[in-house]
Amino acid sequence: MNAVCDLPFEKKSVIPVDPRTKLFLTITVSTIMMSGSVGSVMNYIRPCLAILPVCLLLFSKRWKAVANFSLTYFILFALEIEVLPLLSGFWNFLLGALVGIYTHILPGFVMGYYLIDTTTVSEFVAAMERMYIPQKIVIPVSVIFRFFPTVIEEYFSISDAMKMRGIATLRSPMKMLEYRVVPLMMCVVKIGEELSAAALTRGLGAPEKRTNICRIGFGVVDILLSVIAVFCWAAFLIW
Amino acid sequence: MDTKNNKLQAKDLINVGIFTAIYFVLFFVGMMAGYIPIFIVLLPLICPILCGIPFMLYLTKVKIFGMVTLTGLILGLLALLMGSGIEVLVAGLVFGLLADLIFKAGNYRSLKWTIIGNGVFSLWIMGYVSRMFLARDAYFAKVAAGYGQEYADTLMSYTPGWVFPTLFVVAFLGGVLGALLGRAVLKKHFEKAGMLDA
Repeated sequence: MNAVCDLPFEKKSVIPVDPRTKLFLTITVSTIMMSGSVGSVMNYIRPCLAILPVCLLLFSKRWKAVANFSLTYFILFALEIEVLPLLSGFWNFLLGALVGIYTHILPGFVMGYYLIDTTTVSEFVAAMERMYIPQKIVIPVSVIFRFFPTVIEEYFSISDAMKMRGIATLRSPMKMLEYRVVPLMMCVVKIGEELSAAALTRGLGAPEKRTNICRIGFGVVDILLSVIAVFCWAAFLIW
Repeated sequence: MDTKNNKLQAKDLINVGIFTAIYFVLFFVGMMAGYIPIFIVLLPLICPILCGIPFMLYLTKVKIFGMVTLTGLILGLLALLMGSGIEVLVAGLVFGLLADLIFKAGNYRSLKWTIIGNGVFSLWIMGYVSRMFLARDAYFAKVAAGYGQEYADTLMSYTPGWVFPTLFVVAFLGGVLGALLGRAVLKKHFEKAGMLDA
């Protein structure tokens, strides 16, 4: 058993959080932050929910991400509190919308980043199997889970390549679309085929039930976080 | 492994995952443009056109009933995870299933049915927009609180009630245009690269 504990993916964070808790928290943070609020209690809950994912990243020792997201939060709040009241008319409208969008989406985005970055595909599959989700959904979703970082990484590499060739601006949107989407799809489909072959070799789709090395389960932290999330939902739906 | 041809196999499910991922990323890029208030009305037009390219390539690999339904369902789940609410999940499942039935009518090969099917599939985006119309007062009160009154007013003036049914038509047209664009790109690039065999 000690050997299992020493595997690198088993010791990713100071406080391990179950993938199911992460999923629940992601839905909580993104839904509540996205929909905005008018109630008085929500004025306290929203900042807490915005900070929660950053704290979770901190406990997972993602220093760089913590620094980046904290800085972004700081700039956004500074803009909202200091700069926004000074402006009027069109600029107020523009900046208000921009800051509004970022403060609404960013917490959910950070939470999603946390979910994807700190959960391995195996853990995620184990969690979904524990939730009795059928294989027909587990397989595609785990592929997507594995693929999001890849697609985004490839997208940025391709944009860099296209910038070097001078296809960067919005001068010709059709050309930009063609020269970015087509290579992106080519390489992602190729990667996908390789992934598919690798997964089949490892017995995905075999009639037997697969075993999983990841040990997931609810702990004190999960209960605590779930209670907080349920409280937020109650506040969100009642007020 | 089961060699029957009409059952979903692991390879098909992996394909569902790959193309749903590309679809969602492109969709998200389109959504970002939608936050400029005027564009939110154009959203149902832009996103399906953008997503037409991966979807047409996806359809060359779809031969079994259920894959498109799964794509719709999973897109809905992803949207739910990103905080867009339960409406999108329902829309994704319903229009995914309808589109799947239409593709099946053309045996997953007929161009005519494919184009119509892509139009129908694109209607899932209406799940995003529906809240703006179905729970109008609550929605705009929240928009005003979060984004400022001016943003809410602008958005409201662009979206009178009759826009809702119009947007369904727009989304359908977006899907049709996306399918045509996707087909053109497919012919130009992917056939040459030998990616249409599968």
